Amino acid sequence: MMPRFYSALKYAAVLIWSAFVLAPFMWALTTSFKTANGVTGGPTYLPWIQYKPSLHGWESLFGGAGGIDIVQPYIDSIIVTVGASIISIVLGTLAAYGLSRFQYRAGFVKNSDIVFFFISQRIMPPIVLAIPFFLMLQFLGLLDTKTGLIIVYIALLLPIAVWIMVDFFDGVPRAVDEMAMLDGCTPFEAFFKVVLPNSLPGILVALMFCLIFGWNDFFFAFTLTFTDTQLLPVAIVALNSSVTPWWSLSASALISVAPLVLIAFFVERLLSRGTLAGAIR
Amino acid sequence: MDQPEFRFYKLSFLLPGLLGLLAVILFPLFFTVRVSLSGWSAVSPGLDFDGLANYRALVSDVRFWQSFERLAGMAVGTVLIQYILGFAMALLVWREIRYRRFFRVLFLVPMMTTPVIMSVIWRTILHESLGPANDFLGLFGLGPYPWLTDGSFAMASVMMVEVWQWTPFMFLLLLAGLISLPREPFLAAAIDGAGPVRTFFNVTFPLMAPVSIGAIIIRLIEASKIMDSVYVLTSGGPGTATETAGYYIYIRGLKDFEIGYAAALSVTYLVVMIVLLTVIAKLLVRTFVGRGT
Amino acid sequence: MKRMLFLTSSACVLTLALASAGRADQVDYTKYGDYANYGSAEDGSSACSYANIDKKDYSGKTLKVISNAVPVIGEPTILHAKQFEDLTGAKVEVVNVPFGDLYQRIMIPFQTGQAAYDVMFYGSLWIGDFHNFLAPVPEEYLQTPGMKDVTQNYKDVATWGDQMVQYPVDGDRNYLKVRADVFNNPEMQKKYKDETGEDLAIPKTWDEYNQIAKFFSGWDWAGDGKKHYGSAEITKRDDLMFSAFIDRVAAYAKNPNVKGGFFFDLKTMTPQVNNPGWVKGLEMFIDAKKAFPPGGENFGLGDAIFSFGGGQSLMEYTWDDPFIQAQEKSSPIRNKVEAAPLPGAYEVWNRDTKKWDKFDTPNAPPYITWGWTSAVAKASKNKEMAFDYLCFFANKPNHALDLQIGRFGINPYRNADFEAKFWEDKLGWTPNVAETYVKTLSGMDKSTNRVFDLRVPGVNQFMSILANGVSQAMAGQKTPQQALDNVAKQWTDVVNKIGKDKVRDAYAKVVALEDQGR
Repeated sequence: MMPRFYSALKYAAVLIWSAFVLAPFMWALTTSFKTANGVTGGPTYLPWIQYKPSLHGWESLFGGAGGIDIVQPYIDSIIVTVGASIISIVLGTLAAYGLSRFQYRAGFVKNSDIVFFFISQRIMPPIVLAIPFFLMLQFLGLLDTKTGLIIVYIALLLPIAVWIMVDFFDGVPRAVDEMAMLDGCTPFEAFFKVVLPNSLPGILVALMFCLIFGWNDFFFAFTLTFTDTQLLPVAIVALNSSVTPWWSLSASALISVAPLVLIAFFVERLLSRGTLAGAIR
Repeated sequence: MDQPEFRFYKLSFLLPGLLGLLAVILFPLFFTVRVSLSGWSAVSPGLDFDGLANYRALVSDVRFWQSFERLAGMAVGTVLIQYILGFAMALLVWREIRYRRFFRVLFLVPMMTTPVIMSVIWRTILHESLGPANDFLGLFGLGPYPWLTDGSFAMASVMMVEVWQWTPFMFLLLLAGLISLPREPFLAAAIDGAGPVRTFFNVTFPLMAPVSIGAIIIRLIEASKIMDSVYVLTSGGPGTATETAGYYIYIRGLKDFEIGYAAALSVTYLVVMIVLLTVIAKLLVRTFVGRGT
Repeated sequence: MKRMLFLTSSACVLTLALASAGRADQVDYTKYGDYANYGSAEDGSSACSYANIDKKDYSGKTLKVISNAVPVIGEPTILHAKQFEDLTGAKVEVVNVPFGDLYQRIMIPFQTGQAAYDVMFYGSLWIGDFHNFLAPVPEEYLQTPGMKDVTQNYKDVATWGDQMVQYPVDGDRNYLKVRADVFNNPEMQKKYKDETGEDLAIPKTWDEYNQIAKFFSGWDWAGDGKKHYGSAEITKRDDLMFSAFIDRVAAYAKNPNVKGGFFFDLKTMTPQVNNPGWVKGLEMFIDAKKAFPPGGENFGLGDAIFSFGGGQSLMEYTWDDPFIQAQEKSSPIRNKVEAAPLPGAYEVWNRDTKKWDKFDTPNAPPYITWGWTSAVAKASKNKEMAFDYLCFFANKPNHALDLQIGRFGINPYRNADFEAKFWEDKLGWTPNVAETYVKTLSGMDKSTNRVFDLRVPGVNQFMSILANGVSQAMAGQKTPQQALDNVAKQWTDVVNKIGKDKVRDAYAKVVALEDQGR
């Protein structure tokens, strides 16, 4: 009897949490088909029965009258996010491997301090960095460009990559690379030929975090661009006028999360196969 | 591997990343410190020298320190809740459960949404006249609740939105940690006849200590910057009930355009946070590892 | 090379001439969406008419424009940009930014010397911070018929000192909106009379406003099975709440017999925010909480619009938007609303005599609160094109179209706009709705006792301090007097920090507008 009770409890907990997770999306889904009159009459849930559905919210995302075009921002967002993430992963993986395998010492600075330095970059509230970054990109002539944003995003994403990869490499036994070097490999060869192929899961997790944080950054995408480069979150809040258009915002929320959900499926596949074992320690 | 002949390799692993980061971050960092010594504002742009005036003003800025206290409560509170819920959900979908792959993906999704946008959605949900939250609870004869208009409720609402958004972060790290745990300790515990509760506290929890510490620290850092949800949901109100340090710096910096003063606030914030986080990290290591195997 | 250029441009002129010859004197909006439903006014022959803009060739040039989020101002910005592109061959890039972030998006490039935008649409109250960075409107644009028809009020709003630096594209003010169907319902009138002993009428004072609002709160006076409430007001701290508060305070603290400043005493630059008139206004604001709909203590403009426009609340007193929302074709309360001037007060604080002055008719100064405006950056390299765009934006057919589409947020600011006929014919408003609307609006323009925004450097800081104080009092964290004393203290600090003379010079311009009483 007891195990069955436990298992019922377990499913109940999972279902309640699922409902909580899903609720905003369901609400956004139904709201995205409303018009002002569907909203002002109080909460309604069922199209046709409770309110008259309209495609206006969705049309406004694809260049319909009274909307904005999110196709170009979508593409720009992908370029910037993927670009910055890949560079961060490359630099971060190398640095993390170094920090995991060698002892660095400069004065009182030790490995753990360097790791903390990387992570600490995320402490600074972004608001303050707006003007310095602005001036820096102005000096480089990179304001309002994708390149400029990629540079800034590297500073935001590199700490995440380093943090995850250091933990990961710490979990890979040193014997692995020592064996390789006994076989005559240089540390580079040992890293690229032996350690790296075995580290793919860790890299993918780090990459996923980089993509999520890069994709969802609003603040820098907002402050460091003018009219030429507009990333997705910026294009979406362009719909947040003084009269909050609940419908188009709801549609945009659903559409912006779509590519990342694909990534979630991918990551879950890796998790289930067990290839992630040891990805995070 | 610390032989002198590896010096070249040693440096060429670390330096590209480190120097890259320094190149991007060093100027903004020093610049901020410099700006914090100036009176840069909407009216007098530029880097004059104002000495420590901003810092002197900041010491007696009650609103800032109160927002800091509030932030501390909020950050620690949300992160703890996220940790507990994330851990619980990770345990639940770790092993025998049907459709676990579906649940695993589902539980990750909130983290992937843009916080600004989702906060707007939440605001419509919590809207006391037009939102479904009160409507739904009304079915059970509950409410209506002043989600965003009463100090404590507003605080709880902001925290709930944060929990919704970021529990998946904990969930993913802890789930991956669980999956990678070695099997032997569990077998040993089973042989000893330990029940699920004892196994958890004697085996699972201690083994998960390193992951837990890392996840908590990172989340604390991120949670401290909490701003979007406050801005959208309550604008720091009612009164100042939900004003956090991050939001206050935003108001002073970009709304009031008191750039110099906001820089001083940020430098102070940075120093306090680094000290606090170091202490918290040490404490965490002590509690987790001290209790562990 | 020169010759080639000449050839192409003349070829261009030729095709354009042909194209426009084939067109009647009406503008075709069909290409850009469903705007054609609204019909078109005649193109006219002003310098910025379609025909004349068509003659210009800006191919190869790019105009950078920043505007509010879609649809308010943002949508017409995009629409007229697309038309401008098609007519002149220019490329117009528009970025739409939510109002809350618009200020910093414009200010950062200004202060760092980056010519980020040629044209900016923003809130006119920022003129005190922006004027140094704006290009004055050239004489030729001042002579266009559209500009000449702008009411003095909105010319004043666009002017800094003796130069017009903002290009008027919108007129804004706060006024009262009520549910006429309730006020005119004999049943409701009787009910109100029976229970309060007074006649139900559109409130002339804030006392009456609060009383009526409280009476009509929490029960179903609309007969639709839902609870309804008395008053929707903007109360969310950093979401324009300061405007709502000033609306309420003006009645008690803007004394027509006292010259020399409403926010400050111009002579000494002492903040007036904590004088008894202001405190009274805040007390009344707090008192009105009892008549708010659920969540009404955290309402932004959007919520207020939905609440009144959706039929939930009896009264509302901000910009035109809730009224327009209520008058939308599909609205459940279309033609059941009425506009009226802001309520006033019989007793007004006199800061010279330190006494309450009594009035026979309520003192109800209109608050000419900020509205949308536009400007061209001084640093722009395309000033001519930029002004052409703005002038085109506001030309006769465009203006007529924009006025009709509520979500555009463009409201009357030209003498010709105050014609009840226009609203009846074009939008099907009933004569009563149209007349109260036009009369209320034009009446505010004619008032001699007006309050303008605090158009001084650092205005955002003053307003955010004020909003914070008011919000603390509303939340019960401080008493009204404590909260406003605190605001006054912080205002003094800000004045000293910015420089007393600097603030005074700017504020003197505002006071001049208020005191000239035209």
